[in-house]
Amino acid sequence: MPDDTPILRMAGIVKDFQGVRALDHVDFDLRAGEVHALIGENGAGKSTLMNVLAGRFPDYQGRIALFGQDVRLASPRQALALGIGVIYQELSVLPDLTVAENILLGHEPAGGLPGTLDRRLMRIEAGTTLSVLGFDLPLDEQVGRLSHARQCLVEIARALSSIPNPEVPRSACPTVPFTRGGDSRQENTAGQASRGTKNGRVLVFDEPTAALGREDVQRLFQVIRDLKSKGLGIVYISHRLAELPDIADRVTVLRDGKVVGTRGIADCKVSDLSRMMLGRKLTEMFPARRGAPDSLPKVSHLREGMPETPSPADTAEYPPEGVKPSGGGGVKPSGGGGVEPSGRSSAKPSGGPPLLRVEGLTRPGVFEDISFELREGEILGIAGLVGSGRTEIARAIFGADKAAGRVELEGVELSRRSPQRCMASGIGMIQEDRKNDGAIRGLSVAVNLGISVLDRLSGAFAFLAPRRLNRFARDGIQRLNVLPPDPDKEIQLLSGGNQQKVVIARCLSPNPKVLIFDEPTQGIDVGTKAQIYRLMVDLAAEGKGIILISSEFIEIVELADRILVIQDGRLIRELPGPGMDVDALFAECVRKDTA
Amino acid sequence: MSEPTSPQPQTKTERSFRVVRTASVLILTLALCVLGAVTTDTFLTWRNLVVSLLTNASCLGIIACGMTFVMIAGGFDLSVPSITAVCCVLTVLLLQVMGALSPWVAIPLALLGAAVAGCLLGATNGVMVSYVGVNPFVVTLSTALVFRGLALIITRGGQSVQVPLRLKETYSTLYWGQVGSFGGQGQGIMVPILIFVAVFAVCVYLLRYTRFGHYVYAVGGNENASWLAGINTPRVKAATYVLSGLSCAVAAAIYCAITGTAQANSYQGLDMMAIASVIVGGTPLGGGRGSLFCTLNGLLLLSVIESLLGHYGVNEEYRNVVRGIIILVVVAVDLLVRGGQKQRR
Repeated sequence: MPDDTPILRMAGIVKDFQGVRALDHVDFDLRAGEVHALIGENGAGKSTLMNVLAGRFPDYQGRIALFGQDVRLASPRQALALGIGVIYQELSVLPDLTVAENILLGHEPAGGLPGTLDRRLMRIEAGTTLSVLGFDLPLDEQVGRLSHARQCLVEIARALSSIPNPEVPRSACPTVPFTRGGDSRQENTAGQASRGTKNGRVLVFDEPTAALGREDVQRLFQVIRDLKSKGLGIVYISHRLAELPDIADRVTVLRDGKVVGTRGIADCKVSDLSRMMLGRKLTEMFPARRGAPDSLPKVSHLREGMPETPSPADTAEYPPEGVKPSGGGGVKPSGGGGVEPSGRSSAKPSGGPPLLRVEGLTRPGVFEDISFELREGEILGIAGLVGSGRTEIARAIFGADKAAGRVELEGVELSRRSPQRCMASGIGMIQEDRKNDGAIRGLSVAVNLGISVLDRLSGAFAFLAPRRLNRFARDGIQRLNVLPPDPDKEIQLLSGGNQQKVVIARCLSPNPKVLIFDEPTQGIDVGTKAQIYRLMVDLAAEGKGIILISSEFIEIVELADRILVIQDGRLIRELPGPGMDVDALFAECVRKDTA
Repeated sequence: MSEPTSPQPQTKTERSFRVVRTASVLILTLALCVLGAVTTDTFLTWRNLVVSLLTNASCLGIIACGMTFVMIAGGFDLSVPSITAVCCVLTVLLLQVMGALSPWVAIPLALLGAAVAGCLLGATNGVMVSYVGVNPFVVTLSTALVFRGLALIITRGGQSVQVPLRLKETYSTLYWGQVGSFGGQGQGIMVPILIFVAVFAVCVYLLRYTRFGHYVYAVGGNENASWLAGINTPRVKAATYVLSGLSCAVAAAIYCAITGTAQANSYQGLDMMAIASVIVGGTPLGGGRGSLFCTLNGLLLLSVIESLLGHYGVNEEYRNVVRGIIILVVVAVDLLVRGGQKQRR
């Protein structure tokens, strides 16, 4: 059970990147034997905060105290020596080395001759680490041949074996005295000595479940609970809100580099947390669908940073029991923004004639037998946990990945699908990973915007008049309000939100009938988000079919006419969009039918 | 929250940086010309500047033009000397076969044959790189060996082959011909310079004013995103290698005209000089940016240095050292100046 004296206290942490404040006086504390979840949107500062803790940003301002003693975290090595281990989201295991080599990387036991390794001892040490953790992994297997989930376990074992901790791995191996080994080992033991043998260290998990299947998640949670019971303090970064009640004791929400609040997990619901993360009256961000489109208030006029209070509009969307003010925050009920509830009529027509039909779409091991229909003027939400196969399904429809099954657009089958052919037939897709799959670095906004329709813009002898391209680009820039409105600027110099607008404008340029939005608002500012929501609604009103994939279930709940729930690569349910709320949708996504 | 990049000032630095970079290579070139003019009597003469320096630069420049496409698309081509060798040998052999025909029939046919061969060899590279997906270094390193071997095989072990005497005089105008005269006998513009200007103009048109040119930049900038934007990226990449092969064929036509002979074993080092021109000009190895004018800039600097080395009578073994050092220095200075920018990314 957590006791109340924090083993780690971070106070007034400030970190700037080129004048942009990533962390603004953040306070955070961690008790021994607790799991403290840290949540927030992309760019909220979660990772920056943990990187400060890991010693990667030595130029932070503020105070960090471990066991009541002030420390200055100047390097990753020092952080490790003080007992702070981080398991990063992107695996840093080396695929060509064996499990044992990976676990002991950086602190291998030295052999008899200088520069050699004691392989026998390595296997013993690694084996002990694994058995203490209860992981069943083959020591001599190359890590690259393990499944992703098991690679995560290797990563965890490595992080644990590299921090000096009396409870876990290293000392549990009686044959290995601590003084063996080179300088790094000695530095570790020095850290250990100066801290004494306090029962508790700090372990940070950065979105560890992002790529794990359900059973692996449960196994990981068991590991975390074990570690917790041994008195470690655990920081758990996640954006899967639904799993927090399972694992966390307290939750801290970050937004725009500031702490929005810290709550006990028992005191809050998923919908409260997502409201804290988003930070605005959610219903105000979403345009009214069918009905009164002009009731959308200008987002810029909204008050920012005020305590999040469920407005009357919210209570209409969420069940009333979710509204109770929670423990620590100074949340007082006050009238909301005085904005009318969204004009979404409950009796919504379910779209026009069928536009896209997907039948038996299958990619072995990723998703299976996906069949659905998309109608004209419809927004179809696809919900599911990260890793459930949502993105892969969309990519397969768009022809970016190969898959078996049938895809029909207006009754005509699209065979041998590729992005090129799908775009020519009238399907567009906004990719999830904007940096790698969307923006084309080094090219101007104009070219980025027009690249999909250059054939239409060029004349005789394939001549492509720069002026013509620019004029075309200006239209797109104007339509999506790209800032700055300069077609010659290279795209990587724009902010994330504006890059996204350019990418969306590109996808719109061939005038597709079906548009797939895959996480369209990831990592972009709230104003642009509202604009993108508006755009989707407008496009649907024009009669286009829209597929919306999002981890932010609030977007799906607010925008979709129908919702498909994907679980482990299977389409398990279809739900009506209107009347659904975030909590219920989350429940649907994690519910396992035992039948 | 917006991403931690501050757009406004960076554009200015990036744009002005490129201007400064281009200008400094140009200034360095001019400074070296002045140095040559002051320290030697022979540098600043028509004979040296036009007949020798620019003409040599033209042959290399044609290949560098093709290389620019490949490199902006993010690849590179080590097989150009071998493709050039094959094309040279083939041109001469075709002329031998058609020795009885009129020069006005035989020569165009031979050149056409060599051009087709150049395209085919380039296409081999292109298919391997973009459809099979082998790394361009591995592909072009291997095909360089294969093509060189081909050239040796068709000349029965590398014997030098000769343009038939009947055609030789007409054919050699491809290199030795002069157009116009600027104040005296032998002071015209050499034909290779004219060919280069034509090739350069066509390439600039292709790269700047056509869909294909934009695709080349897009593929170098972000291949994955380009593919997802509906571009047939494999075809674009393959096409750049075909262009590179074709440019080798054009250059080969000129090289054969120098002595009227072709040898399967020559033209070594063309690849490095062409790549060096592109890189010194400012096109990065990863591609995505750069231009033909950059390449021209780099080409002129390297050619002036080459000419000066000759004038100062530097021994061949030292020349390579100087060439290498200069390429390294230009690129290193580039990186050092850019370094500040990179960290901010």
